[in-house]
Amino acid sequence: MRKGAQIVLDCLRAEGVDLVFGYPGGAIMPLYDALEGSGVRHILTRHEQGAVFAAEGYARVTGKTGVAIATSGPGATNLVTGIADAKMDSVPLVCLTGQVRGPLIGSDAFQETDVFGMTLSMTKWSRLVKTIDEIPAVLAEGFYWARSGRPGPVVIDLPTDLLKASIDFKGPVQFTPHARTADAKAEPAFTDTVIALLQKAKKPVALVGAGAKLSGAIDDLRRLLDRLNIPTFATVHGLGAIHPDAPYYLGMVGMHGTRAANMALHENDLLLVFGARLDDRVTGDPSRFAPDSKIVHFEIDPGQLDRVRACELPVIGDLAETIPAFHAELNHAQLPDWSQWRSVACGSDRAELDPRGLAQPTIRFLDEVFSRLPKNNVIVADVGQHQMWAAQRFHSDSPRGFVTSGGLGAMGFALPAAIGIQLAQPETTVLCVSGDGGFQMNIQELATVRRLGLPVKMIIIDNQYLGMVRQWQQLFYQRNYAETDLSDNPDFVEIAKAYRIHAQRLNEDQMREYPVAQETANEIDRFLQSPEPELLVFDCHPEANVYPMVPAGAALSEMLYEEE
Amino acid sequence: MHTFHIRYRNTQGTLMRILNAASRRALDMPFVQAEPSEHDHSVVLTLEVNAKQVGQLSRDWYAIADVVHVHAGITAQTPGDLAHANLPHRPSAAVMAAGAGTQQALA
Repeated sequence: MRKGAQIVLDCLRAEGVDLVFGYPGGAIMPLYDALEGSGVRHILTRHEQGAVFAAEGYARVTGKTGVAIATSGPGATNLVTGIADAKMDSVPLVCLTGQVRGPLIGSDAFQETDVFGMTLSMTKWSRLVKTIDEIPAVLAEGFYWARSGRPGPVVIDLPTDLLKASIDFKGPVQFTPHARTADAKAEPAFTDTVIALLQKAKKPVALVGAGAKLSGAIDDLRRLLDRLNIPTFATVHGLGAIHPDAPYYLGMVGMHGTRAANMALHENDLLLVFGARLDDRVTGDPSRFAPDSKIVHFEIDPGQLDRVRACELPVIGDLAETIPAFHAELNHAQLPDWSQWRSVACGSDRAELDPRGLAQPTIRFLDEVFSRLPKNNVIVADVGQHQMWAAQRFHSDSPRGFVTSGGLGAMGFALPAAIGIQLAQPETTVLCVSGDGGFQMNIQELATVRRLGLPVKMIIIDNQYLGMVRQWQQLFYQRNYAETDLSDNPDFVEIAKAYRIHAQRLNEDQMREYPVAQETANEIDRFLQSPEPELLVFDCHPEANVYPMVPAGAALSEMLYEEE
Repeated sequence: MHTFHIRYRNTQGTLMRILNAASRRALDMPFVQAEPSEHDHSVVLTLEVNAKQVGQLSRDWYAIADVVHVHAGITAQTPGDLAHANLPHRPSAAVMAAGAGTQQALA
């Protein structure tokens, strides 16, 4: 006989789970009671949102399914932001929530919330378990949906009485999905169509998104793009998929993308999209997005097609299958000479200007830190100006080397995500880049870092503002800096010391000379090479802005630059 | 007005997910009817949507794990005209594969 809680843990082990993140509470206590000896290591965070972001970080760099655990009521509601984040960014995630006893469900019992109902719109699949017998099947199906197709979040709500009850357990089961006769999938003929479109194109380009990484098709994609040799750019989640020194690579595209990438995306007449959603941060004004372009959209999830702009040809399927199929046929095809278009799109006339203005010291600081990172590293960015500066300066060919909350834009993501990443990859240097606003949204996870002794390297770009909001207020709200002033921030160095974490501060003056002074370089090296967790606060000018910038509602060609 | 016929396995929350795809877009639902249908269940919805929303909704519904089939769209003047119009419809754009799109793409 095994208890429901033991069965849950047995099923987690059967799914290959050996690490979970969570926070205990009343209804989930039986599961915690069964943890010892289960083979599942539990990481206690200091808030459920920390747990779910840590599970996401773990999943984002490993490709495995992250698992977060919380109790009923407030524990479950605190997971919601992470669940929404996983949905937007296609992260395989299983959240296990405790629920009040079955007979009490619907009675507004203590710490009862309808987590199943409240997460319906942001989960890929979910279940409120009704009997102890169905636990193995529900766990198996939940993990299947979390990792299959376009990955996403799953919620499994576990009434506490089922966790305490016992049955004669026969062992974990496997889930086999029902066949759907009309499941969308590209027909082999798509290759002929794409080749025909290429042969007619005068200005073809390629856009790479997260799907290329999620499908494990990076090597295939790089070979294909080497063959095509057309101007190529990436979304923020596509960074690292293409070698940054590839001669056809133009960098990040979108609201804060490079001039070259945005111009090429605006001017092309054929756009090949590989695993990207074409969301509004990439397209700008949809009605003026790539006005002369035909779009071929390689995508595993039909639900992502035509969301902002209709594509001419959907190629539905796993990129690990469709890209090699396309490449194989391409090898027999004659392609036009696009050298003139390439020389325009990738030419020096469109090279990015040396960063100027108030952001220059901050950008130089990030360049200094990034250039001194060991080869084996992951950069985790929070949300805001620092996120975009970090994305712009990211220069790596590591497909999972840049992690951020892209779709949801959830401040507070980076620190707990860095914890999950460091646990997944103990030998990797994990650099967490936050702003002063976002860092305080999950600052309590410094305790988790300290407790585990994780050598996470944390940077706060401290401009004493909610910087990105302030930037918009400056540019579009006549400098009415309403409620974005954070100049009464605490002293982050002292805060870190209270958590027994070493911290130091650098300022803009130390970045004005190039190369930086040896003393400053040594400080950065010591920060990166320390075997302990470290915090480095960088004082950024309060009115530094991120440029280029495509204003909301503008076309990609209408970029703003820093005024001289 | 468009009518949609959706066949689904009547598992926990599946009907709610189907309805939520419409409600999250703030679409009125003047007609909704769900009932058992052979081995599965089916729901008929009438919605005031544009062509782009027809495609988006169809794909959203098809992305739900226990949705078996989606038939999208005929137009009519009133919801009542659609309530009993159990006509077969072409599958939505969700299942449009390359072969079907070839002529359109090359045009």
